Amino acid sequence: MITDRLGKYAVLLFVVMFFAYLFGPLIIMSITAFNSADFPRVSPWDCFSVEWFDVLVNDDKLMDGLRNSLIIGIGVVALSVPIGLAGALMLMQISPRVRPWYYTIVVSPILIPGVVLGISTLIFWDRLGAMFNANYESIFYDGIFLTIVGQTTFISAYSMLVFISRLQRFDPALEEAALDLGASHVQTFRKILLPFLKPAIGSAAVLAFLASFENYNTTVFTITSESTLTTVLASKVRYGINPSISALAVTIVVLTLFAAAIMEIKKRRTDAFEKAISKAVIEGTDALSKLGRKSNRLIDPAFAMIIVIFLAGLGTAYYSGTVGVDECKTSVKEAKKLETQRRVDERRKKQMFEGAQPGTQQAAPNTTAPSTGKAKGTEGYQGIFAPTNLESQVKGDSGAANDAATDDAPAKGTEGYQGIFAPTNLESQVKGEESSN
Amino acid sequence: MALYNYLKNFFTRNGVFLSVFLLGVVGFWIFFLIILPQIFMFDFSFRFNLPPAEQGGPNDVYTISHYKFLLFGSALSEDSYNVIDLTVFLRTIVTAVFVTLFDFIICYPIAYYLAQVAKGGWARLMVLSLIVPFWVNEILRAFAFRIIFGSNGVINDALMAMGIVDDPYPFIRENIALYAGLGYAFVLLMIFPLYNAVESLDKNQIEAARDLGSPWWRIHWRVVMPFAKPGISSGCTMVFMLSAGALAAPQILGGPSSLWFTQIIYQWFNTGGNWPRGSAYAIVLLITSIVFVLLVMKIFKVKLGEIAR
Repeated sequence: MITDRLGKYAVLLFVVMFFAYLFGPLIIMSITAFNSADFPRVSPWDCFSVEWFDVLVNDDKLMDGLRNSLIIGIGVVALSVPIGLAGALMLMQISPRVRPWYYTIVVSPILIPGVVLGISTLIFWDRLGAMFNANYESIFYDGIFLTIVGQTTFISAYSMLVFISRLQRFDPALEEAALDLGASHVQTFRKILLPFLKPAIGSAAVLAFLASFENYNTTVFTITSESTLTTVLASKVRYGINPSISALAVTIVVLTLFAAAIMEIKKRRTDAFEKAISKAVIEGTDALSKLGRKSNRLIDPAFAMIIVIFLAGLGTAYYSGTVGVDECKTSVKEAKKLETQRRVDERRKKQMFEGAQPGTQQAAPNTTAPSTGKAKGTEGYQGIFAPTNLESQVKGDSGAANDAATDDAPAKGTEGYQGIFAPTNLESQVKGEESSN
Repeated sequence: MALYNYLKNFFTRNGVFLSVFLLGVVGFWIFFLIILPQIFMFDFSFRFNLPPAEQGGPNDVYTISHYKFLLFGSALSEDSYNVIDLTVFLRTIVTAVFVTLFDFIICYPIAYYLAQVAKGGWARLMVLSLIVPFWVNEILRAFAFRIIFGSNGVINDALMAMGIVDDPYPFIRENIALYAGLGYAFVLLMIFPLYNAVESLDKNQIEAARDLGSPWWRIHWRVVMPFAKPGISSGCTMVFMLSAGALAAPQILGGPSSLWFTQIIYQWFNTGGNWPRGSAYAIVLLITSIVFVLLVMKIFKVKLGEIAR
């Protein structure tokens, strides 16, 4: 029986670890949003501050991208929900012989890599534009239009699947009854089928919007010269990191948690309500009318509570994040200066102590950093396809090991993100100060 | 004639307005969004990279030079094969397979736990908290891993504070960050098909197996997994396809010396400025995906409808 209990603990441990893997990155990223340091990090902790949220809101590029993302999202919803609905209705009616073929074709966009969809959309409309001799301002070359079309290709398939699963629960007898009672086909569709599909329309629209908002792989090809939130984010993350991105993540996480909490409460409430109804039906009309009054209440106390707590928390965080930040920052700066001074002294001592062979000692920690930075800098440019690329990198590594001290400074310049990744960053700063002294 | 009858039936059944709507919309989707773009891309991949003015001119003839380039590299290089691109391609596929396996291994116990062991509100809360991380943008998730695995990141700080390593371990250069980030990105796409499949398994079957003296691993191997086969194949296909076709995570988390196949395609379209060659590479990726799906369908003996759900 001991093994049984051990097994149970092992399972529990695994579950805990799994959720740690799931939430750990998000939590750490959220914490970095409140650190006043220029680079998103948890340690060393400088000051608690909300300045990065200000930076985020004032970032025109991001806000531009956000606006485009919203436009595209709305466009995709407007296209993909009707297409998905039509696709699902078609599947129900198509003759059984062609049904497998039809299904394969319309479901394939889900399985085709997003990159391929983006490329094919781009090329298709580009070629069409060329056929019609359209100029470059026309719709064939418009990034937003192309992105809407490209995303609709596969998001329609998502919404179709939503409709199919709803339609499978549809009782065709309802439709037949309506037709028997003299309704026209259009009427039957509007009065019977559409109301039945209404919840599915809602969830398909939400799903489509989220999928569109999140999409990167297709968008990055079809967006051409415009930008969306995801493409702006990607270029920011690649070329210059600062904690305002963490601040965006915090915003999204908080909104998500908020939405999830509301959804959960609503679900519980309807569940409880349904239970109460079935109970009230047994008890009689009196209980029923009481229930009716209860459900008519405009604002739920629980909702109001959550909103109040949420706003209060936000206010407190914002207040404590703006007050006293400057004093804290100056004190941190002082501390850093002292630390730097201490390191300089230490290094001097060390060098004097080591005398003849300072090179090897210094180079050891540097072997990774400069080459990482340099190679990152060239990534995305032409050099990568040169067959000698790998070799030269290896050479670069060993080269860096030999003369890291001299290599450090130029590497920093080419990196594009100011060497923040170099673990030797501090040291090189030290060196810089040393040489300027 | 059969088609005419079928259409006539279709129109009487749906009425003119709805019929036109259905046929028009579905036709637009199938032809203008799905099939024609793929055909155009296929066609384009067999053309030379010409400036717009020359397109359609006398020089615009078919060629297989782009596919040749992927296999043999440029004529100037000394290698007989295009070692770099082919290596990247193979590494992408192999890594995607490992990411899929990794996700399956960590998700299967959780899916089983959620579906069969956990009870009531606790299970619901767990399912809800599974969804929350995936409302966060793919790029932000990769960014989180960059913060964690960077040389000034949390893990390196912790390792150095504990004295396990003296210098920051290059997680990003060694691609460990990439593997962790890719695995993380697609956890949900593995867990939900598995969960749906395992959930519908009758508990009595497990109990019967246990009563008959089967050890726990055999219960999984002989009872749960065969039952969950559609879910397993669906989850594995989705994770493989998405990680092989991933672009954001490799761009953000990839080591400097390692490329992802999608990144090469991306470069042909952007800095490389050679769209036809990029299309050829995209076709290769597309065909690989199709082959993979067919393989899964064959091995697991499932239908396409069970995979794409």
